[in-house]
Amino acid sequence: MSLMEINNLKKVYTTRFGGNQVTALSNVTFSVEKGEYLAIMGESGSGKTTLLNILASLDRPTSGEVLLNNKPFSSIKDRELSAFRRDHLGFVFQDFNLLDNFSVQDNIFLPLVLMGKNYHEMSRRLTPIAKKLEIGELLNKFPYEISGGQKQRAAVARALITNPDIILADEPTGALDSKATDHLLSLFSEINAEGQTVLMVTHSVKAASHAKRVLFIKDGEVFHQIYRGGLTNEALYQKIADTLTVLATGRDSVE
Amino acid sequence: MNSSFYLKMAASNLKKNGRLFAPYILMNIGIITMFYIMHAISVNEGLSQMPGAQALSFLLTFGTYVIGIFSAIFIFYTNSFLIKRRKKEIGLYNILGMGKRHIAIMLMLETILIALLCIGLGLISGIALSKLMFLILLKILGFTVALHFSVSLSSVSLTFTFFAIVLLVTLVYNLGHIHLSNPIQLLKGSNVGEREPKVKWIMALLGFITLGIGYFIANTVEAPLQALFTFFIAVVLVMVGTYFIFIAGSIAILKLLKKNKQFYYTITHFTSVSGMIYRMKQNAVGLANICILSTAVLVTLSTTVSLYIGMEDMIDNRFTSDVTISSYLQNSDIQQKVQKLANNAAVDNNVELIDFYQYQTLTSTFVKDGMALKTLDYYNVDSNTVYVLYVTSKDYNQIYNANLSLNDNEVVLVSNNDKFNYPQLLIDSVKFEVVDELDQFADFKKTNDPLNNEMLIIFSNEQVRNQVYSNSSKNDDVEPLSYTSFNINGASSDEIKFNDSLQREINSISQTYMFSKQNTRTDFVSVYGGFFFLGIFLGSLFLMATVMIIYYKQVSEGYDDKLRFEIMQKVGMSVDEIKRTINTQIVMVFFLPLLFAMIHITFAFKVITQLLALFGFSNVPLFILCTFATLLVFAFIYLIVYLLTARTYYKIVK
Repeated sequence: MSLMEINNLKKVYTTRFGGNQVTALSNVTFSVEKGEYLAIMGESGSGKTTLLNILASLDRPTSGEVLLNNKPFSSIKDRELSAFRRDHLGFVFQDFNLLDNFSVQDNIFLPLVLMGKNYHEMSRRLTPIAKKLEIGELLNKFPYEISGGQKQRAAVARALITNPDIILADEPTGALDSKATDHLLSLFSEINAEGQTVLMVTHSVKAASHAKRVLFIKDGEVFHQIYRGGLTNEALYQKIADTLTVLATGRDSVE
Repeated sequence: MNSSFYLKMAASNLKKNGRLFAPYILMNIGIITMFYIMHAISVNEGLSQMPGAQALSFLLTFGTYVIGIFSAIFIFYTNSFLIKRRKKEIGLYNILGMGKRHIAIMLMLETILIALLCIGLGLISGIALSKLMFLILLKILGFTVALHFSVSLSSVSLTFTFFAIVLLVTLVYNLGHIHLSNPIQLLKGSNVGEREPKVKWIMALLGFITLGIGYFIANTVEAPLQALFTFFIAVVLVMVGTYFIFIAGSIAILKLLKKNKQFYYTITHFTSVSGMIYRMKQNAVGLANICILSTAVLVTLSTTVSLYIGMEDMIDNRFTSDVTISSYLQNSDIQQKVQKLANNAAVDNNVELIDFYQYQTLTSTFVKDGMALKTLDYYNVDSNTVYVLYVTSKDYNQIYNANLSLNDNEVVLVSNNDKFNYPQLLIDSVKFEVVDELDQFADFKKTNDPLNNEMLIIFSNEQVRNQVYSNSSKNDDVEPLSYTSFNINGASSDEIKFNDSLQREINSISQTYMFSKQNTRTDFVSVYGGFFFLGIFLGSLFLMATVMIIYYKQVSEGYDDKLRFEIMQKVGMSVDEIKRTINTQIVMVFFLPLLFAMIHITFAFKVITQLLALFGFSNVPLFILCTFATLLVFAFIYLIVYLLTARTYYKIVK
């Protein structure tokens, strides 16, 4: 049984004036297994963000369905959605989305506070995560006092602390320098090795080359996918790069 | 680029920033209307025909200045909000290729448009409303005059010049602001990262201490005269305390709450407390301003309304009879002369004189110490000072047609406040037996005037009286020697005529003076009516300013909070939870100043009643009623503004 199933997703936007219709996703079907590390790649405008928003239950599809643990999103009422999100999903964003008026620790606690956990439970959960992400010394600092890489690790801690079924990462390395990118990607691999399911949307080949499987989207459809198999990061990198070239030039896939 | 392009640009900027500009423009129109009305009334010619016009015109001129000063402050304040919010927009224009000179032209045209719109509409509504306001003023003053009220050209030109200058200065400020910053700064202008404020413990502590002392002082005042000085000190202390508490105390309390982990880490407190810390950092001064303005409005309105409504009480307190004529003349036939004049005037004007009393008196001022009266060494009026009138049993017998006979060492007393209640009276070590204490002697009777302690002593004869007087009286003031007092019975128009004609007669006699309720009423009406009018005017001006400050605070916070709430929603906060959090914060920010204003007024209550006593106002229940009424009206308007503002805020955040 798959952890997450995405069946025939379609999303059509209607522009505010004039009623022009734009199809962001035409027909997307795939599934995410438990413990998987999946990267979704595609150029700007390919429908990546729309897909992620729907997977994050921030947006509803025009047709098709998303199931998490066999539970269809469409069966969740609007008012229960936010609770569903914080209980089952963890988010890592490109621009970190940390709140300036909370310390790093309070930012990480935010979803737990929303869940109504008490302070002891929260700090019990934080200790191992802070150690793993090497942010123990940053906990009392504020987001404007730390570097981008540190902010992103804090954001990962916030995503992990609820023990989510799946972590959804939206261009997590987009605002990081190469060193911080390497650090973060090895972190993702590490937490994935411990059994955490990760779904990452990116257009960075380097970021995707850490995943176990890479899915390519073009014009709102799943165009192609690559499994890591036994490949090293470098070999996978090369393979992704080749695929992207093919995608861009429009010839048939090289397999 | 031709100039019509700039004009179009300026006009469309104003339109597109409607949410920001509309309240500013409305406020300006309101302020200009008020300024024009106040000035137009103060220079109105009809005004000078009113009795007591001098005091009134002074008050109104004063009011014009006050409105002028405050409107300039409010306009600057609001303008600084506007330009801060527009930095990004202007930075964008700059990056897109508009030079600073072009931006300056655009801003100038915007200001000119705003100025024309505001001053134009302000003058129109001012002219339209000034007639109504003038009528209201006349009604307040109870004065009916053939009305010739027209557009005052001097007021129009003054209003135009004054506000044109004020708006010009705001333009200069804005240009300076733009000129000093580069495009990147402008672009980032409105979202500079905020640091969490540090707790200023000393300031917080000082705030609570000064506020405490202020409250304490205001509530330990015993004598009204002391109240005047004390009130001033207390006001300063409370103001300082308010600022300190809002700036430092609030953050200290919030930080303490944050330290309490069990309290802090719950859904409702988590976001509210940390949000409030930032709000207080940015808004402490603004909120303290609102608090002080609100207190000022409430105090001004409740006291002026009380004084106006309580005018009759005050007159009754001050005068025990309708007319009192006192003379400093030595010769004894002055009494007959006054009586004859009064009777003649009464016959001429169809009124009847009742309770007609005449008596001779000497007066001294003493310090009362138990049963002893001691001659005053230096002149210092406090609650122990007693103003003493000496009369003789002869006058008593004459007035009451009685047969009182006293020995040389015996006296009869009448007190205006508390009874004497001692069997003996010592006047500078001369001992007298108190035979009796009366409630009234002629028009001398119990009054509600805590400011004046008066005692009337009836001696057996003139010899004893003069002896005591010459022994004890050190002050060289010449005091009235004879009193005539009476009440008038007749139609009120006749009473007025009687008063006027008698006043003329009495004025022609040297060292003889007439005081009448009627004349005092005219004076009071113009002074307190003027106060009342001014109070309402300034009250509404301050209220408008308060409303404006609150509105802009919420709007600018809405823009800041938008992003914050978006993040929270992504992390899993539901819309309901967000709404609840927003609500707690807005309610706190809104009602904290009002709450503090109410507390201030509660603590100021005692000292204000003492101050009102200085005006002869002692009707405490009326004052309580007026305070409650103004508080209610104020809170109601405040609530409406809150609802409107909260709606705008939600719209922005969504």
